[in-house]
Amino acid sequence: MIDSVRHLLVKKAMSSTSSAIPLLTRPRTDEPSEPTQRPLDLGLIGRVWSLTRPYRAVRLWLMVLVIVRSVQLPALTWVMTAVIAGPVARRDVAGVLWGAGGFLALAVSTQVVMHFRQRLALELGEAVVHDLRNAIFAHLQTLTLGYFHRTKVGRIISRMISDIEDVRAGVQEVLFVSLVQLGQMLVAAAAMLWYDAALFLVVLALAPVLWGLNHVFRRVMSTALRAMRESFSRVTATLAESVLGMRVTQGFVRQNENARLFALLVADHSRYNSQVLRIQGLFIPLLELNNHLFIAALLILGGWRALTHGEAAAVGDLISFLLMANLFFAPISVLGNQYHQALTAMAGAERLFRLLDTRPDWLDPPQAIPAPRLSGRVEFRGVTFGYDPEQPVLHDISFTVEPGQCVALVGHTGSGKTSIINLVAKFYLPDRGQILCDGWNLRDLQTDSFHRQLGLVLQQNFLFQGTVADNIRFGRPTATDEELIAVCERLDCWDLIAALPHGLHTPVGERGAQLSLGQRQIVCFARALLADPRLLLLDEATSSIDVDTERRLQQALRVLLRGRTTFVVAHRLSTVRQADMVLVLDHGRIVERGTHRSLLAANGCYARLHARFTQSRHAASVVTDATS
Amino acid sequence: MATLDQRRPPVVPAETAFTANSPSLSQLLQRMVALAWRYRWLSLRVLLLNMALIALNLGGLSSAGLGIDVLRHELLPDAPPAAWPGGWMPPSTWSPRATLAFVAFLVLLFAAVTALLKFVAAVASAELSQQMVIRLRADVYDKLQRLSFRFFDAHDSSSLIGRVAADVQAVRSFVDGVVLKVLTVGLTLAVYMAYMLSLHVALTLACVATSPLLWWGAVWFSRRMRPLYLRGGELGDRLIAALVESVQGMAVIKGFGREPEAMARFAAANSALRQQRRGIFWNLSLYQPAMGFLTQINQLVLIGYGGYLVIRGDFPLGAGLFVFANLIHEFAAQVGQIVNIANSIQASLAAAERVFEVLDAPIEIADSPAARPLPRAAGWIRLDSVSFAYHPGRPVLQDVSLEIAPGERIGIIGETGAGKSTLLALIARFYDVDAGAVFVDGCDVRHLRLHDLRRNIGIVFQEPFLFSNTVAANIAFGRPDAPLEEIERAARQAAAHEFISDLPQGYENLVGEHGVNLSGGQRQRLAIARALLLDPPILLLDDATAAVDPETEHEIQSAIQQAQQGRTTVLVSSRVSALEHADRIYVLQRGRIVESGSPRQLWERRGEYWRLARQQLCEDFAIPATEP
Repeated sequence: MIDSVRHLLVKKAMSSTSSAIPLLTRPRTDEPSEPTQRPLDLGLIGRVWSLTRPYRAVRLWLMVLVIVRSVQLPALTWVMTAVIAGPVARRDVAGVLWGAGGFLALAVSTQVVMHFRQRLALELGEAVVHDLRNAIFAHLQTLTLGYFHRTKVGRIISRMISDIEDVRAGVQEVLFVSLVQLGQMLVAAAAMLWYDAALFLVVLALAPVLWGLNHVFRRVMSTALRAMRESFSRVTATLAESVLGMRVTQGFVRQNENARLFALLVADHSRYNSQVLRIQGLFIPLLELNNHLFIAALLILGGWRALTHGEAAAVGDLISFLLMANLFFAPISVLGNQYHQALTAMAGAERLFRLLDTRPDWLDPPQAIPAPRLSGRVEFRGVTFGYDPEQPVLHDISFTVEPGQCVALVGHTGSGKTSIINLVAKFYLPDRGQILCDGWNLRDLQTDSFHRQLGLVLQQNFLFQGTVADNIRFGRPTATDEELIAVCERLDCWDLIAALPHGLHTPVGERGAQLSLGQRQIVCFARALLADPRLLLLDEATSSIDVDTERRLQQALRVLLRGRTTFVVAHRLSTVRQADMVLVLDHGRIVERGTHRSLLAANGCYARLHARFTQSRHAASVVTDATS
Repeated sequence: MATLDQRRPPVVPAETAFTANSPSLSQLLQRMVALAWRYRWLSLRVLLLNMALIALNLGGLSSAGLGIDVLRHELLPDAPPAAWPGGWMPPSTWSPRATLAFVAFLVLLFAAVTALLKFVAAVASAELSQQMVIRLRADVYDKLQRLSFRFFDAHDSSSLIGRVAADVQAVRSFVDGVVLKVLTVGLTLAVYMAYMLSLHVALTLACVATSPLLWWGAVWFSRRMRPLYLRGGELGDRLIAALVESVQGMAVIKGFGREPEAMARFAAANSALRQQRRGIFWNLSLYQPAMGFLTQINQLVLIGYGGYLVIRGDFPLGAGLFVFANLIHEFAAQVGQIVNIANSIQASLAAAERVFEVLDAPIEIADSPAARPLPRAAGWIRLDSVSFAYHPGRPVLQDVSLEIAPGERIGIIGETGAGKSTLLALIARFYDVDAGAVFVDGCDVRHLRLHDLRRNIGIVFQEPFLFSNTVAANIAFGRPDAPLEEIERAARQAAAHEFISDLPQGYENLVGEHGVNLSGGQRQRLAIARALLLDPPILLLDDATAAVDPETEHEIQSAIQQAQQGRTTVLVSSRVSALEHADRIYVLQRGRIVESGSPRQLWERRGEYWRLARQQLCEDFAIPATEP
């Protein structure tokens, strides 16, 4: 039945589906969308429940408050009906006043309980969310880089935003609200049973109808909502690309075509939107109709019986019944909502726990020792490695670097330069072979202690939100401002930092956007120099910077490299020239090694590259010119 | 770095140019009401349906009350007889049971008609809102496409996307969420009030006495909470930003072994958020019970005073007290709506300002009335003493004159900020010159049809923006109906056919944001193919190799050389190596042409070009791709 209704309501809109619409952009289809709901599962519920264990006292209080409240709410209605049915019908003024006094007292106590019940539940939810956030963040820090290589940032963010919120709703609402509502239903049922058992059975007969209707409504709605959201994401994706690519559009004068496509998309989205509104418009009145149906039935049945027996008290009972019945019916739709909320929370919780249960690709072995102060001798012994072990990107790499040497890695994209850097950094472990540092197998050194002797300058010059000082201090959190300045002075670049609007305390903006490329690079150099690493890993930037800054950077780099073992992914001739060893990589293998001079003399692959570069007519004259 | 596609104007935000005269509140309101007026008939229909629903609600309620009174009169002969509306009385031949059944039937009838009308009303209001949204979205999108580059320079793209996606909805909600709501709520309150007053004046006034308090409380609360929620939102955003940053900078965190510091920072931000939310919870948990208590006071008044009136026989139990109990409940709900309306007004106005800003933005670059057609240009380009500035007083180009003959290959070189990309943008008339003139085929570009001019010019932007669509659709961007042979031909010319054929789905493979990861060089070659598909007599290439590594540069260079054949090309670059095949090179320095001539001539002159070339060739060592 459910499916046929859904079919009727939703498939109709789908049949005129958007696949017929020509698109400016095509939404991705190969990525599975994450399920929004999941069946209840005792193990999962238990685990969510255990999140509240640190707040046992609050949890206990909440249970007490919830029980009190589930009695208070029907009691309020009962007092009101009792006054109307009793003293009012009996024309007992004093009784009415007493009743009103009782109502007042009960109302005040209800609201006091309400205050605590609401505040404690919200605080409990927030506490659980707070703990979960910390747990996720801390867990992420323990995962190895391979995980971040495989996982999209968006996925991790949606764990932190939407899944956590779903779990919050589950913790702070589902259980407590459901208990209040269930209690209210039970009390109301008991009261009605006490007034008139036969009439209550009529009420009871309507309950499943209401529940069923509600259920169908939710299911149809969630399908329609999903379709609507999908169509909206088509609109926004197209919109985003239209704005970002506006210059291309105008350059190719495609405005009319784009407007036509966009209009189709918007109309399509509106159809889904109307669909949702129509479903709401159909079901909500139907659910309310139920209530009226019940009033009419009660009037006929109750009235009929009262007339038959001629009981005067029956009028009062009838009113009580009408008001009590509301208390019985209202929770049904609330419970329906809570049920769906619970399913949503389950799906969120499952994803969260899956993240928290993700094991790092590898852990330090128990016998790993803290790295001693390293001198920086690095040796690769027959190292083979692939991000996907089936597809190695490095094959049988062996070389030795003496302390303080500079190694330039040369080769085109995909030749394995960055992979070597990643392995030296112990971001990944080799699949075969060994990497030794000062004779220790990297595997046997505690990763943390090893990383503290490492310095890193990446191609993107990654900076964190905060000030220049914060970012430099990242290399050594205990450093004073004077030490930061000293580091910049050693790089002979203090004037560049001091020239910023607030000097060291200039905010760098998101990902360092407030700084120029050159300034960003200086901050990264200073960060690495402050850490005073034994091993320095450097991925040279490719973007061109103006000539003067470039020269300053080259000098600063020389300072940074002095006295430490360095691996450079080189893009500049000057860097390669300075290197003690050049490794020429091709398809994951070292094809040549030596110094710039010896490689030129060997007249092999490197020399060929170099020659072809210098062949171009005036490049040749310039180089001879510059070197003569 | 200044480029044709992504110019970020320095220091002075050009935003001021577009928001200088932001509209006054009353102007804004006037326009919004005018917008509503456009949809007056649909709005009127929704309003009338809502009125009918109020009437039906009252009818249903009083029918139920009537039933109670009929019953009571039968059972308690001294109770007042039921007061039938409009002086109508059931025929005396009807038994009490028949009368009761009749009343029950009335209740059901009202309910059924209500449900039906509610559905009709939902559909009508969906139609209203969707019509408005479709129209508004199309209008804003259309307008966006016609705005000049200057507008996009000054506005953040995410803000523009938000205007079409979200703000339009908020503007729409001014009509159905504010104007219609105000009318509906006002009328509902008036009708309820009138109905209750007609039953009993003093009781009505006593029962609604707390309503102003309810309203005032709601306004006060929303005002008090707004800054708290805003602050909470900020703290939450900051937390997520910290998460994103740490995921994207994971290599840096791990590389320096700074996991503990990152965790501590996150935990501190997390606690700050939790602390802040505590305040919100307190406020919420005080406000909601207080408001609940206010509505209970109404019920209290009803029991006490109303009960007293019933006892005195001044007030019927069913059609009076019972109906009242239900009405004050709905009355309080309607009063609560007013606060929502007040909030939507604010949201709508803020959104409207942003939407109108787009709709009102002047179209700077438009066809002049007497614009001339340009079927197919020969390829003459002439700049005559051209000066241009993005911001008054900061000239980017000064007194630039040059002349290009059909088929010439022209290079433009200069350091960052010299004005190279701006020069290209002026040829395609993305901006209008401040002084002088740009001629294409001897005609001032301002007197040519914009569509024709740009159709004659192929553009390759520095950042090769591709749409999330198939390779074929991207190449055919300028002519969506191009046959596959032409697409392939363009791809071959751009040296792209080979790698496209290697893609799993060839020309049908998705690229762009959701597609395969293409290298920078491959994306750039697709962008070149996109420009070549139109077979433009003039080809403009903006520093296509600025941000790519040396080997990619090589890939692109060969594509460019093929592309240049048989058309006038202007190639901008900051690298000497990119321009070695040019027929003539212009050297730009701070917005002026300082040298021009063939590469050989320039080299021998030992001027600015020679200086640039020397620096670049000494510092930049480009390692070209290994050749098999």
